[in-house]
Amino acid sequence: MSPARSKRSQFSSCHVEFYIGMLRAMADAQKLSHTSAMILQAISSSHIYGYTVMEVTGLPSGTVYPALRRMERDKLIRSQWERQSIADAEQRPPRKYYRLTRAGEITLEASRNRYPLLARLTPTEEVQER
Amino acid sequence: MKTEWLPHTVLRAASLLTPSDQRTEWLKEWRSELWYIPWRQAMLASLGAFRDALWLRRNNLNPGTRNRIYLESPFLCIALLATLAAVSIVVAAQLPVPHMKPGTLNARILAGACIGMLLVSALFLAGTLSVWRAPANHHPMPWGITLRWGVFLALKYVLVQPMMVCGFFILLQPGPLGRLANVGFCAVFILVLRWVITDQQQRCPVCLRSLTAPVQIGTASRTFLEWYGAESTCSRGHGLLHVSENASSYSRKPQWLSLDDSWSGLFSAPPGRRHP
Repeated sequence: MSPARSKRSQFSSCHVEFYIGMLRAMADAQKLSHTSAMILQAISSSHIYGYTVMEVTGLPSGTVYPALRRMERDKLIRSQWERQSIADAEQRPPRKYYRLTRAGEITLEASRNRYPLLARLTPTEEVQER
Repeated sequence: MKTEWLPHTVLRAASLLTPSDQRTEWLKEWRSELWYIPWRQAMLASLGAFRDALWLRRNNLNPGTRNRIYLESPFLCIALLATLAAVSIVVAAQLPVPHMKPGTLNARILAGACIGMLLVSALFLAGTLSVWRAPANHHPMPWGITLRWGVFLALKYVLVQPMMVCGFFILLQPGPLGRLANVGFCAVFILVLRWVITDQQQRCPVCLRSLTAPVQIGTASRTFLEWYGAESTCSRGHGLLHVSENASSYSRKPQWLSLDDSWSGLFSAPPGRRHP
């Protein structure tokens, strides 16, 4: 196989995987519950810690933390521990924060179409500008 | 007030539900979150830790690390049952039996009791057969393997009898111990017999080792012409067991899929060891 052809086939296989991933995420978005959609929305509006998600959504801890774990397992969000040095400097324990993945963003976008009032719950920057 | 002891005690209690390998990380996360929660809400928030811990327990991503007695090897299984049987006989011999003089309980009487219990268990065999799900084997097994499979089952069946006899002797005891045994004996009797059968179902018919790495396949919402259930693997690479979650006309029994040597590269055991 010539290098150009190999590159082209690599390129197309990457695209196919990307589109399959997007389609899968969109299909999964149809199954996302309102609670999960609220949590995704909260994370997307920079409420990236478990407690702040609880505060914004008004959901109890027994709902929020298992939902965060479930969504992390489903690769809609990813978690990361804050650096110890930052926490030490502020004399507090390090926190685990959450970010949306690409699949999470697609799912949230689809959920906003399904639940139009979702954006009003925790206004994102775009909504605030309006 | 960051040093409230009650929420932290609740956390500690909830942490017992989490898988041991994830407990430290889980506690660290919850303690960190509690630090930020106002103390008036901390108690209520900490109660949610039980639900979170249960979720983690149910959805353990490393089921291989679960705390349980690991009886993958058939020899280990038989050895453990034999040890328990020996201990049960010793305990039963020490127990006073009503209408018998102390010290008159000899080996002959105990053996007779075990045989009697075996016969009683045989009466329940018809009931336990209803949960029996013999692997539907597309390739007939050699008679030697089938014989070994049957001998292993029979050995387990025989070795649990002394434990039953010991339980029965406790049942005969006067006082609170006997009353407690009265309630639990029948349940334990059925559960032990059921374990003998279910343990056998979850073993490779070739090497008799417990099947490992169960994986969920398919979804319950898509059952039309599509199989869904669990697939387990023999660690020696002898085959795969497909157990349907929901019995249907096309997947009523578990399907045992024998693997040939071409699959040996996928398994840790060297190909030479894969043959019984």
